[in-house]
Amino acid sequence: MSVTQTQRDETGHASGTKCWNCQAPSAGVHFCAACGKIQPLPTGTDYFAFFGWPEKLSLDSAQLESEFHKLSWKLHPDNFVRASEFERDLSLNRSSELNDAYRTLREPISRMEYLLLRRGLRKEGTTKQQAPPELLEEVFELNESLDELREARAEGGDLAALREPLDAAQKNFQEKLEEVDAELSQIGQEWDAALDAGADEAKQQALLARMNLALNRRSYIRNLVASVQKELADA
Amino acid sequence: MAYSDKVIEHYNNPRNVGSLDKKDPNVGTGLVGAPECGDVMKLQMKVNPDTRIIEEAKFKTFGCGSAIASSSLATEWVKGKTVEEALAIKNTDIVRELSLPPVKIHCSVLAEDAIKAALTDWKKKQGDAEAKSAEPATAASH
Repeated sequence: MSVTQTQRDETGHASGTKCWNCQAPSAGVHFCAACGKIQPLPTGTDYFAFFGWPEKLSLDSAQLESEFHKLSWKLHPDNFVRASEFERDLSLNRSSELNDAYRTLREPISRMEYLLLRRGLRKEGTTKQQAPPELLEEVFELNESLDELREARAEGGDLAALREPLDAAQKNFQEKLEEVDAELSQIGQEWDAALDAGADEAKQQALLARMNLALNRRSYIRNLVASVQKELADA
Repeated sequence: MAYSDKVIEHYNNPRNVGSLDKKDPNVGTGLVGAPECGDVMKLQMKVNPDTRIIEEAKFKTFGCGSAIASSSLATEWVKGKTVEEALAIKNTDIVRELSLPPVKIHCSVLAEDAIKAALTDWKKKQGDAEAKSAEPATAASH
């Protein structure tokens, strides 16, 4: 872990910062190693670095849980009641950032989405995502079949007869979701291996692009699963 | 998030919902998607090949209110326009008309893409039709 941390320091995440209190080069992200004072977060610190980790996707959830609790305890505003206003603010902001970091990294999908956001492959509202035409055809047809079932029911169709295609649709979507999840997990492993091997930017970008495509496919399928489940619940 | 009145109006009374015959050589079909939110939008236009005027436009969108309103508005705008005029429609025009918030801008981008995709398909079909009518002549020359 220490090797990776050093590399990340060189990319500018935590390097060059001095402790505001004792001027010692602050080794930790959150507290000065020398005087123990809470430190401002180095600009550009991502949620992985927040916990002192590399940007790897395989994450031990028990370890995340334990680090989260440890940091929550250390950063808690109650510990800073008698500290300066500067430190009280740091503690307050850091505690809320800790919650965001924890929530984002906890789920494998949001962890991946976060990585893609950080690496510039996703931007809220602006970046256009490309979907392959076959996927769009498939998604459109699946949506249409779901729509037909919905209309048939609205017109008082035979519920028992409609249940069967809905069940079939659910099974189909669920299988597709499992497929894409398996694919994402595979890409995640490749990403971690690439980081370990010190893969160059081109290799990393290629993996991120594949991840992005698979995540897009997953968004569509997840929507379909949710729609069909809603129909089944109402049926 | 609150939708603007215009979005709600289009959502409640979508214009030109439906589909046109995909096989008709004068019909262009555009199918586009916004994977971030799982939306998928189909826009079809029937173009008079002589005047290049869009005579009919239909859409079907599976997605959020803004996506439905954007495509509904797009079909309304393209009708009666020439192919070139329709291609000049920008997503920012849609954003302005519907007062879309920043997080919904991609819905308007989707509608612009759908117009372009449909007209590209139409042009391709027109080209194919010409190519086909030219084929026998080429064959005869051999």
